[in-house]
Amino acid sequence: MFTLTNCLILAGIIFAAGVWGVIARRNVLIMLISIELMLNAVNLVFASFARTHAGLAQPPQAHAGETGQLFALFVIAVAAAEAAVGLAIILTIFRNRATVDTDDMQTLKQ
Amino acid sequence: MATLIFWLVVLVTVASAIAVVTARNILHAAFSLCLTFLGVAATYIFLHADFVAAVQLIVYVGGILVLIMFAIMFSSNVVEDTAEGRRGLLALGAGAAGMAAVFAAVLLLTSRLAEPLKTANPCANVAYAATVSVEAGQTGIGHCLMGPYLLPFEVVSVLLLAALIGAVVIVRKEVR
Repeated sequence: MFTLTNCLILAGIIFAAGVWGVIARRNVLIMLISIELMLNAVNLVFASFARTHAGLAQPPQAHAGETGQLFALFVIAVAAAEAAVGLAIILTIFRNRATVDTDDMQTLKQ
Repeated sequence: MATLIFWLVVLVTVASAIAVVTARNILHAAFSLCLTFLGVAATYIFLHADFVAAVQLIVYVGGILVLIMFAIMFSSNVVEDTAEGRRGLLALGAGAAGMAAVFAAVLLLTSRLAEPLKTANPCANVAYAATVSVEAGQTGIGHCLMGPYLLPFEVVSVLLLAALIGAVVIVRKEVR
């Protein structure tokens, strides 16, 4: 059934998958993809609450949930910027060190 | 019927989201990510957020995913099996703990926040947002973006410009 709780649980599962990916994988690209997953989950939560509050608000406060959707749009824009810069950094690291494995990036540690 | 479609969408989204994390081949992960993005877009349509769904398709599937594909092709040996690039049991435990924490947060949120907020909504006074309908929603987004949220909108455009210039500067070969 299509309810707020189900949407939030879906978002929670996607977010948890993203957290899992960032923690468990050592490939930087997979970690970046997982971050995109988490951002998507957050957007889903924004849209869910926007929809719910739009349906429940009384006439003087009535709206179609624009605020939540706008926040989702802003997050999408920031995610695009993040992906561009992140991939640029990954490509530079790969060019300099020929690896995308986080365990091989220990210059500061040594 | 709508319920059936919703569950189908949820199933595809969850399965592909987990496949993204567990896939051995990075390219398979990227393809699964495409399915996840599509599922999330479908959920947006269920949530009457049609414009966000369209933006999701254009920006994520059409932009970010292609960018990620390019990065994968450029930067790694795709055939290489990344099975040993995982951190085994510890990671599974941490992942399970993270999932539990997220679920607890979700349950808390649904019990506490499921009623309308009492704070003023800056978009509530927009004339076109008086009715709750999809068309009013799209019109309202435009009016909100050009009204109460004009400054964030412009700041985001500057941020995008700065990020793109930064990306170009980072990947550019040094010219001396």
